[in-house]
Amino acid sequence: MPTIITCFKWVIDEAYIRRGSSGDLDFSAVDYKISDYDRNAIEEAVKLKDVHGGTVASLTVGVPEATKGIKDSLSRGPDKAFFAADASFNNLEPSQTASLLAAVIRSFITPYDLILCGEGSSDLYTQQVGPRLAEILQIPSISFVQKVELKDGKVVAERRVEEGVEVVEAPLPALVTVLPDINVPRIPGVKDTLMASKKPVVTIKKEDLPPFPAPCMETVEMKAAKMDRSCEKFGTDTAEIARFVDVLRKKALI
Amino acid sequence: MDFKLTEEQELIRKNMREFAEKYVDPIAVEIDENSRHPEELFQKLAENDWMGMPIPVEYGGAGTDYLTHIVAVEELARSCASTGFTVSIHVGIIEMLILLFGTEEQKKKYLAPLAKGQNLGALALTEPGAGTDVMAATTTAVRDGNDFIINGTKTFTTNGPTAGTYLVFAWTDKAAGRKGMSAFIVTKGTPGMKAGEHFKKMGLRSSQTSEMVFKDCRVPQENLLGKEGNGMAIAMTGFDHGRIGIAGQCLGIMQAALDESVRYAKQRVQFGQPIARQEAISWMIANMATDLSAARFLTYHAAWLKDQKQPFSKEASMAKLFAAEKAMEHTIKAVQIQGGYGYCKGAKVERLMRDAKVTEIYEGTSEAQRLVISGNVLR
Repeated sequence: MPTIITCFKWVIDEAYIRRGSSGDLDFSAVDYKISDYDRNAIEEAVKLKDVHGGTVASLTVGVPEATKGIKDSLSRGPDKAFFAADASFNNLEPSQTASLLAAVIRSFITPYDLILCGEGSSDLYTQQVGPRLAEILQIPSISFVQKVELKDGKVVAERRVEEGVEVVEAPLPALVTVLPDINVPRIPGVKDTLMASKKPVVTIKKEDLPPFPAPCMETVEMKAAKMDRSCEKFGTDTAEIARFVDVLRKKALI
Repeated sequence: MDFKLTEEQELIRKNMREFAEKYVDPIAVEIDENSRHPEELFQKLAENDWMGMPIPVEYGGAGTDYLTHIVAVEELARSCASTGFTVSIHVGIIEMLILLFGTEEQKKKYLAPLAKGQNLGALALTEPGAGTDVMAATTTAVRDGNDFIINGTKTFTTNGPTAGTYLVFAWTDKAAGRKGMSAFIVTKGTPGMKAGEHFKKMGLRSSQTSEMVFKDCRVPQENLLGKEGNGMAIAMTGFDHGRIGIAGQCLGIMQAALDESVRYAKQRVQFGQPIARQEAISWMIANMATDLSAARFLTYHAAWLKDQKQPFSKEASMAKLFAAEKAMEHTIKAVQIQGGYGYCKGAKVERLMRDAKVTEIYEGTSEAQRLVISGNVLR
């Protein structure tokens, strides 16, 4: 019966970000959510448990105030949660997150069979945490997964790639990053939300973990996206149509 | 004072918002247009434990406090006031009264299926000649051996055509005045009880409302709810709970009106700028936001008092009175902000305005609320 770990990030819900007139971003009224594709990862972990039995643990790294995220994850079906919490675990970049997740897994959630992550987070979408984590743990990593199964000690996954669908398999333990097509996350029922508070949560302090590395990536500035619309008109005579086709070619649209 | 909702309450609100956006928003216009009761939607609400939130788990509910139920009603009503109202009366009046006054057998037999959403509850109290003046009712329940025979006509029964469990109020001893009315649990299919046609209404059109006619309707004495003669007190307790629910419904209506007004005012350009920059419009929105906040505190406070097992009649009345009047006032303004577009079918504010009116009327008119409040304050 497998032990499945599902990693999630507690992110700003972008629907609440407001924009000032000068293009600056106002975060004063934001709410938080589990990153969208991580909800798919949690859902898939629980579905695999429904088929194979075993246990599912949700895992996150964040600031101590993110307890609502822990409850949200538990309301979706995992049996327990692991929460590496510290004020300094704010705005981590992917290499740091992967390092901390690996340290928690090695110290607190071994042995395990499968790790599920979202393909990328709703905020940065670097798509790095999953593969980096697998690399640190020295396990196979399968990305862009739209379907996953466990069979005879192996994970079998369908990957959606540019040319089509690739089916791969890997021995367990392994890590899989999932696409949103893989499932439709449940809306937790009221009882699920209330039961979540009764499930065990292991809170891990920064002091219990090895020091995490300095960031490889630094956020210099964050601004609202600007869309510059250009408007070019074309006539309908032969010369104009030729010019139109030429412009489309130059923009690599055809 | 701690004004924060708990994390569980915030998550439940979020989940209801997601549920409403996914399942309610897509059908809200159609069920209003066609006056249709969406049975499929109520089945989904039941699957997610929304149909009996504050009822203890041993009676089929989710075991939340009352405030959490109100927060859920608010979010549901934000998408569809009819659906929010149906849940509110089902839970807040029918389920709460059986929980508070029912025998253990009645709770197992009637409350559990209601809380699991297996059938809907309906309140048969108002009569053609007895609205605010409940004492003017004429429906009687006459003892006959081990049964009661009910005769009379009820009207404006919410869920009348669709319910499975009815709470029916009738005189068992008219001479005893306020201590002469009793409450009965009557189930669908009981011979002698018939629901009339669904009324065509201005608003809340998806909520099914009808007459209920009782002709020699035989009900066993085991179906008496609470003590014989205690019906008036039971009805008033029902209204105390239901009024907080209506206030919650009004919060949803007001939040939707505010959202719509802000959205429209930011995008509608007249005189070279969004109308949100015109003081006439921005002040309307300021008033909406302020009154919504005030109504929310009144409503949540009333629910909190109930959860603390403190008296809450006056506060429930205040919340309902204020929230209903402001819901009407501000949905009218929301249509005004959207001008001609707001007046047309298809505009959400058009439906909000039609839905808001009845909140000033049912579960005690605004005039009746003022009687309750002044009676309390001037004691």
